[in-house]
Amino acid sequence: MTQQNSNNLSNEISLTSIKSLRMPANYGATLGVKKLLTNVAVGKPKKAIFFRTHKSIDMVFPGMLLEQKESRENYLVLHAVAQEISELVRPVQLHAAIDRQNNVFLIPVPLPGESGTRNPWHESLAQAVEHAKMKWIRITANMHIGGYDIYEAEGVLPEPEWPEHDIEALGDVAFRGKIISALDHPVVQSLLGRL
Amino acid sequence: MVASDFPEGIYLVDFEFHPAKGKDGNPPVPVCMVVRSWPNGETSKYWQDELFKMRAPPFPVGEKALFVAFYASAELDCFQTLGWEYPENVLDLFVEFRCITNGLKLTHGNSLLGVLLYFGLPNIGGEKKDEMRDLVLARGPWSKFEKGAILEYCESDVVALSGLLNVMEKHIDLPRSLLRGRYMKAVSRIQTNGIPIDEEIYEALLNQWDQIQDLLIAEIDQDYGVYEGRTFKVSSWEAYLISNEIPWPRHESGRLDLRDDTFRTMARMHQKVAPIRELRSSLSEMRLANLTVGDDSRNRCLLSPFRARTGRNQPSNSKFIFGPSVWLRGLIKPKEGMGLAYIDWSQQEFGIAAALSGDPAMMQAYRSGDPYLAFAIQSGAAPAIATKHTHESVREQFKACVLAVQYGMGETSLSSRINQPVARARQLLELHRRTYKKFWDWSDAAVDEAVLGGRLWASFGWQIFTEEGLNDRSIRNFPMQANGAEMLRIACILMTEADIQICAPVHDALLIEAPLEELEESIKKSQRLMQEASQIVLDGFELNSDVKKICFPDRYMDKRGAVMWKKVMHLIVDDASATCL
Repeated sequence: MTQQNSNNLSNEISLTSIKSLRMPANYGATLGVKKLLTNVAVGKPKKAIFFRTHKSIDMVFPGMLLEQKESRENYLVLHAVAQEISELVRPVQLHAAIDRQNNVFLIPVPLPGESGTRNPWHESLAQAVEHAKMKWIRITANMHIGGYDIYEAEGVLPEPEWPEHDIEALGDVAFRGKIISALDHPVVQSLLGRL
Repeated sequence: MVASDFPEGIYLVDFEFHPAKGKDGNPPVPVCMVVRSWPNGETSKYWQDELFKMRAPPFPVGEKALFVAFYASAELDCFQTLGWEYPENVLDLFVEFRCITNGLKLTHGNSLLGVLLYFGLPNIGGEKKDEMRDLVLARGPWSKFEKGAILEYCESDVVALSGLLNVMEKHIDLPRSLLRGRYMKAVSRIQTNGIPIDEEIYEALLNQWDQIQDLLIAEIDQDYGVYEGRTFKVSSWEAYLISNEIPWPRHESGRLDLRDDTFRTMARMHQKVAPIRELRSSLSEMRLANLTVGDDSRNRCLLSPFRARTGRNQPSNSKFIFGPSVWLRGLIKPKEGMGLAYIDWSQQEFGIAAALSGDPAMMQAYRSGDPYLAFAIQSGAAPAIATKHTHESVREQFKACVLAVQYGMGETSLSSRINQPVARARQLLELHRRTYKKFWDWSDAAVDEAVLGGRLWASFGWQIFTEEGLNDRSIRNFPMQANGAEMLRIACILMTEADIQICAPVHDALLIEAPLEELEESIKKSQRLMQEASQIVLDGFELNSDVKKICFPDRYMDKRGAVMWKKVMHLIVDDASATCL
């Protein structure tokens, strides 16, 4: 073996022995920390927010919604109760949506009335939600036309990264403590003027 | 670790020494050495006359023996003076103590005395230690009694080491400890080598610095009027800012923020501020007489390995030529027939973050050779055909954002840095989070690990305990810095063992030296080994390096200090200095 070969060999051995001591930087691997879904807002996105809606029909669910505009709260009303206070609730489809910061929220789109038509605001909202399945958009109210203007993002933005939760889980978080299952619910009592 | 791992023995070694001719910057002169076999305690003492006659250490130093010391690079420097081969296996109890306590609050520090107190072990006390150290530094001649006292003192240190090894043994992760010990050998080689300094200019600066300071103030301050003598008057500065309509950051108390960092940031935003910032920095940081330059005109000082929490070296700012103001680095000059090369890993922290997090977009950006522009392209802010020239301002903003993330900067600081509204800074930071999601998940996991696990580590075992409270920014930055330090250590080991003359490690760079005719070959070899070191630390991911070559008669020059250097050279009253401009 020449001196050069011998040096190369000892260098190889040295490198191999160093490499064998390497520890992975797998921080958190044994701790099992995961981000919890703690908040799911319900409502129309603000005018500056770009958003997408989920393409799957499994990520939509129908419900009867009672909106408290003063406190900006939305209550999900069970069918039996909704029948009793039909003038206060609105049948909607709740669509899973997500913004650019990966915040998930539900957009309620009112269903057509008995005539099978929606008012222009609801109709344009339904169109926006449909459009947002394919494109990043934001919407702003246009009082002149009585509907929403849709602005599509011009850049090539990446597809949204949806959380693993299904629509049921999103609904559970969104309406935690906000389900009206009986007429004696304080919100109903208040709206009926009984309190 | 057990004694049977080293059939030829475990030897605890301590030297007493002083710098040659009593001048810091000169190599050490051993005065005596005491060796104690562990665990049996057999002890041998040697005075300097015996040591200088020995061609090899009087104990085994091959692969079956272990050399143990506290701050081994100092002991190994004595080996260099004596012309002895380094021990094959080195265990440094200072380094291991740093490793097992890094991040914890220590009441008594990291000196041998402090470590003994930490473990509740007997010690000779600080006063006695100072007295004996002074006696050694007096350089003799010593009486018979004094020689006996010095030997006894040296022996007390190895006895202390023995007790220390007894209690620390169970904490020692032997193979990785030996790797750190191997780095201490590299450190000794580098410390012995030192950095070549232009003696003529250095002497002129030393002799005329007082006068130069006054001239500098007179020249630069004529546009500001804020100095009285050598005192920077805050009220005058405030008046200057008002009359020039420069809004200046203030502390909560309302006083002007006069930190150098603030001056640096403001100098970027207002060009008028730059000269006064440079002057202030030069006057405050420049303690020229503290620079330790040996009789052979080489700057040598302790590199203070493992002193920083990240495991990086932390040499004294005033003793190390890379410590004071950057313009002073112009003093670095190769001797006749020699050349220097400053080799640094390209975007080391970005590369480490990419590789360790396994973020594919980030790795791709690094491999593109221009991660800043790549980030702009990946996030959709620049077209795929963009270049540094077509999208210079976009690239600058994205570069600032990448660096801001590395430094843990928020949107407000970033907006000042890029001189753009906070909304733009926020947008850039959001783009970083979105483009490099896997990196951010990994960085978040590091925070979880630090908070819940109480510890973070680097690839070869350097670690930090986080129980004493470490801010979010430091936690997120630790993996990059600590692995950067591991990379530098492995590069130093590979390069010094391949006979490359390293003058100094400088954060993520190495300054090497070679005869001019061998310089190219040394650079090539160094770059290959630095690449190898990056692969080792990053599990196969390669980092590239950039080279700045300095051939005699040129000098090293940091571009940030070039103007100041020129200014100072004009003020030196010596015709010879004219050749240095």
